[in-house]
Amino acid sequence: MLSLETLVEKLNASSERDYPAPTWGLEWPEQFPEGAWAFSPELLSLSGLPVLETFSEEQLKRLALLEAGNFFSLNINGEKSLIEGLARQCYRPQTHAVTSYIHHFLEEESRHMRTFGAFCLKYVGKTYPDKKMVFEREYAEGEEDFLFWTKVMIFEETADSYNVYMAADERLHPLVRGIHKMHHHDESRHLAFGRQMVREIWAEHSPKWDATVIQGIRAYLNSYATSVWREYHNPEVYRDMGLADAYALFKASFDGPVARERRAKMSAKPIKFLVGLGVFEEDPAW
Amino acid sequence: MVTESQLKEALRSWLSQKNPAVPVETIGDDTPLIDQRLLTSIQVMDLALFLEDLRGEPLDMTRLRAGAFSSINAIWSTFFAGVSA
Repeated sequence: MLSLETLVEKLNASSERDYPAPTWGLEWPEQFPEGAWAFSPELLSLSGLPVLETFSEEQLKRLALLEAGNFFSLNINGEKSLIEGLARQCYRPQTHAVTSYIHHFLEEESRHMRTFGAFCLKYVGKTYPDKKMVFEREYAEGEEDFLFWTKVMIFEETADSYNVYMAADERLHPLVRGIHKMHHHDESRHLAFGRQMVREIWAEHSPKWDATVIQGIRAYLNSYATSVWREYHNPEVYRDMGLADAYALFKASFDGPVARERRAKMSAKPIKFLVGLGVFEEDPAW
Repeated sequence: MVTESQLKEALRSWLSQKNPAVPVETIGDDTPLIDQRLLTSIQVMDLALFLEDLRGEPLDMTRLRAGAFSSINAIWSTFFAGVSA
């Protein structure tokens, strides 16, 4: 009788023979080199706080590796919810026309998760867990789909702004740059698709929604746009760095001017799109 | 580790900050937080981080149902009652 672990190894090998995954030419060192950057220093969530001024370069690079682990983990967590939602969208009468692309979307998101998970487990020793939870509630017709696609758009476009920045950052280790480049390459298709879904669902349903529904959507998405960013400031990362009072660091870094400015800049594209569509009347109070 | 009364007061204060229009004295130990929209799914992550700080250790959200956050009493029972100081 094979153990589960041995069976999984055999099944992995068989699946990879039949459906080889693109490697993107990424080379994975046994250990992440100690002298290498895994995350752009100015994007570190604690940047702007006095505590960073006390760090040696070695400590900054260790924090950068943990922040890379957190960034890849928050992508894994977001993509898990995305995959669940995409699977629900397939083969519904109203989505037959787009189901063929949803299959590609699902496949690519699954590959991303696998790459991010490999990085986290190999170099950080874990993934950072999801803290989100969705409460069931009633929706107006079309509202749930609209919120799903709009949340996907905000989440993915925000993460993609990090991909673009770090794919171009020559200080970073080539593996990290390569992962961001690969992710951005696939995301450009997902973002185009996501925007069109948001545009079409808004055009179809918003004229039928009363002012209460529209105000509810606005308030919800406004809070969502800010809450996405909480995951970028993870107290568990600070605990793993051995820092005292991780929750206070989370609050101070999230509420600080550097983070507010970063949120406004890195989420500017999806917010501008939503303001143009009339979903938002103004930018969120970052 | 906080006591039951400290936790409940801290939670009431946290909920009051998130819902400034709701008088704090109307948030009882059994007030249905989710049904009355005093706690939304968007705010749960924030609350989880707040509870982790009070508890001194991470919460495993993957094992939880929404009922864990349904009232102040439910939060106390789920995350704090029976956890040694």
